[in-house]
Amino acid sequence: MNVIIQAIVTGLLLGGLYALVGVGMSMIFGVMKLTNLAHGDFMILSSFIIVVFLQHVTNNMFVALILTIIVMLFFGTIVQKFLINRVIDKGADSPLLVMFGLSVIIQNALFLIFGPNAQIINTELMRTNIVSTQMLSVSALHLVNFLVAVAIIVALTVIMNKSSLGRAIRASSSNIKAAELMGINTKRMYIYAMGLTIIVTCVAGLLVGSTFMYFNFTGTQYLIIAFGVVVIGGMGSLMGTLIGGMILGLSQLLGATFFGTPYQTLSGFLVLLIILSIRPQGLFSKAIRK
Amino acid sequence: MSNKYIMQVEKLNIHHGDLQAIHDVSMNFERGAVISIIGANGAGKSTLLNALVGLHKPTSGKITFCDENITGMLTSKITSKGLSMTPEGSGIFEDMTIMENLLLGSYLPEAKKVRNEQLKLVFELFPVLKEKEKQLATFLSGGQRQMLAIARAIMAKPKMIICDEISLGLAPVIIKDIYRILKMINETGVTLVIVEQEVKRSLKYSDYAYVLVKGRVVMEGPSQELPETEVSNAYFGIDKYN
Amino acid sequence: MKTLLENKTNTVKVGVVIIALALLVTLPNWGTRGMIPIFTLIMIYIAFGQMWNLLSGYTGLVSLGQHAFIGLGGYALAVSSERFGLPLYVGFIMAAIVSFLFALIISVPIFKIKGVYFTICTWVVAHSLGLFLSTLAFVNYAIGINIRATFRLPTSTIYYVALGVAIVSVLAVYLLLRSRFGLGLMAMRDDEDAAEARGVALYKTKLKCFLISSVIMGVAGAAMFMNLGFILPASAFGIDWTISMVIIVIVGGKGTIEGPIIGAVILVMLRQWLFDFPGYSMLILGAIAIILILVAPKGIMGLVHRFTGAEFFSVRRRPKRITEPK
Repeated sequence: MNVIIQAIVTGLLLGGLYALVGVGMSMIFGVMKLTNLAHGDFMILSSFIIVVFLQHVTNNMFVALILTIIVMLFFGTIVQKFLINRVIDKGADSPLLVMFGLSVIIQNALFLIFGPNAQIINTELMRTNIVSTQMLSVSALHLVNFLVAVAIIVALTVIMNKSSLGRAIRASSSNIKAAELMGINTKRMYIYAMGLTIIVTCVAGLLVGSTFMYFNFTGTQYLIIAFGVVVIGGMGSLMGTLIGGMILGLSQLLGATFFGTPYQTLSGFLVLLIILSIRPQGLFSKAIRK
Repeated sequence: MSNKYIMQVEKLNIHHGDLQAIHDVSMNFERGAVISIIGANGAGKSTLLNALVGLHKPTSGKITFCDENITGMLTSKITSKGLSMTPEGSGIFEDMTIMENLLLGSYLPEAKKVRNEQLKLVFELFPVLKEKEKQLATFLSGGQRQMLAIARAIMAKPKMIICDEISLGLAPVIIKDIYRILKMINETGVTLVIVEQEVKRSLKYSDYAYVLVKGRVVMEGPSQELPETEVSNAYFGIDKYN
Repeated sequence: MKTLLENKTNTVKVGVVIIALALLVTLPNWGTRGMIPIFTLIMIYIAFGQMWNLLSGYTGLVSLGQHAFIGLGGYALAVSSERFGLPLYVGFIMAAIVSFLFALIISVPIFKIKGVYFTICTWVVAHSLGLFLSTLAFVNYAIGINIRATFRLPTSTIYYVALGVAIVSVLAVYLLLRSRFGLGLMAMRDDEDAAEARGVALYKTKLKCFLISSVIMGVAGAAMFMNLGFILPASAFGIDWTISMVIIVIVGGKGTIEGPIIGAVILVMLRQWLFDFPGYSMLILGAIAIILILVAPKGIMGLVHRFTGAEFFSVRRRPKRITEPK
């Protein structure tokens, strides 16, 4: 029984982190109907950059994160402006494959620069337990991950729903022609949406990078996790990702508890595939209108 | 205000890939007037309008708005100069609320300044929108959608509004209502360009009319002076224009 | 006059194909020792490329999980040879059967899924298969299996198998597209709704292509692991295979038969050339792929076609043009 409670708690907390990994992908899909196949690599790239700043520039984690966000915003703007915006209106396949190509480039560039060795971002939190009883132990890191993830997803939802910028971004995804007629430069809105995504993804990169080991190819694993989260939660629904993340986290941890650790990742995907084959548009997605 | 025309189109040619959709079209829209452009499906109306607001780049020719050359300018830029358009099929933001739709109408900085007064005006003209303020636009009826599109267009306090196929698929009673409101908007000094397939209605409500057949202006003149039958003939391509 | 010219170019084309085939078949007799393994790889990658192209280029099913069948084919060969002591050719038959069955089963849920969901779901399926095999003692977990029967095989035998697989893959696509079925296929790719209205049975057509593609992919996968001699889940079900397929098709030219051939040659040669600098070849290929999507979405074949009008394996049946005498 204790084991199951532990699995549920850890699963939910992990789910929060997964949600943060997925929310950027959901955002990009919601706004420009693009599945960013390089999403996981964006995140791992930011994890690598954070470490570089921590090693050479500053000891302060927060400063390193801000610096990374600045670098990544620059990178994201270039990708959006010169790659995505140029192919986004040329059918569904071209943008998808461009991002696939970008993923290959990032992974191999990381390999050439940092080598194949696994890395981790060192934090004090890793070794601290918040709750430590016989029944349950909760690591500070997991709890912080969860809280930060929830805070950021809520903040992102508020920005998208209440601010003028969020409204303009949503208008651009709802009806391009009408949005242009309102004076909205839709392609610039895409850049802003990418910017918001990048900020969230950098935070995810920090949390994931200080929780699990990563190396140049790890982005692929997180892409699949992000996809799982987003599909369960419904592409484009930001709060849905939170639920999607928790379902995925729970299925992984419960799977590991009942069938053994090797089945952790697998059981998450099995739940995803089962959900998809029953509800091909995801659990919480609104019907996609044309 | 030296120029009596708010918008002038000179020898406009537009291509869709290899196909030419608009041939040497010239038009002059008088300030404060109601102008109608009449044409059947496929006459090139939409292409022409898209070019006027910068959504489609013309191959050659010149478009002037308020004495400024706007040919090839970005739509967002043209909109900020005081030109609004209600797209065909209303083009409202379906998954957003009525209020959000209206607020988007005053998205540009210039428009934000007049947001409150325009909002008041809009709710006076369309009380039904006030009632449904918080509802999603997707639940509106056809007529209400057009009303929202017009309301959204006047949120920016434009000098000129282009209405694309505003009566398409609507009941006569509702069309009448919409035209009544358009008349009121026109009386506040806004130039209106109305694009229609219906000959009779177009001539009745406008001061000046253009007939577009296969991408060419085949007839133009003050609406009262244009004989309806001849316009219809041209429109249906019965005549020498074919 | 024109038809005569067309007949003439047709004769030239047939001639070129025959000469190329003759050269390939006799390669072990005239080629250097180093050439055989390279050509083996090229041949297998041609098959991978053709089969991915059949799905994405002609059927509009963009799957990023076709490497599932490479892994299944490889494991079918390894298991039947190592665990059941069956001869290698039986392993190839098993590869085809296993791929066919898996494709048939997985098609039921996965064909309900549309668009990008389909694209990534196929990937998740492949990834999950790899994870699953890593938990099985029967296939030695994630550690992998040596396929000892392949160790004694002469390189030329492996080469001929690879050549056979490549020829089958090209022929399959060519014949498929020349048939009535192919016409429906292309109508479907260009406009699903219109094709359906005209009576092209969408589901059946897609399923047929998916099955053919999967079976040949599985056999090509078996050939690949016969060549490697060793299989483990991480390599068998790695996304790298699909990355290669995608790059081959994009670089060579989507929706053409020549495209994957050109793409495979470029991919293998570039990797060989940059063998001592791992990472660079994929970096360069990724960049080339992106640039091509931006400036020449139809790949190298598209460029060739645009500038010379040449088309080698024409699957289009041109209407007989009536030439007006001047």
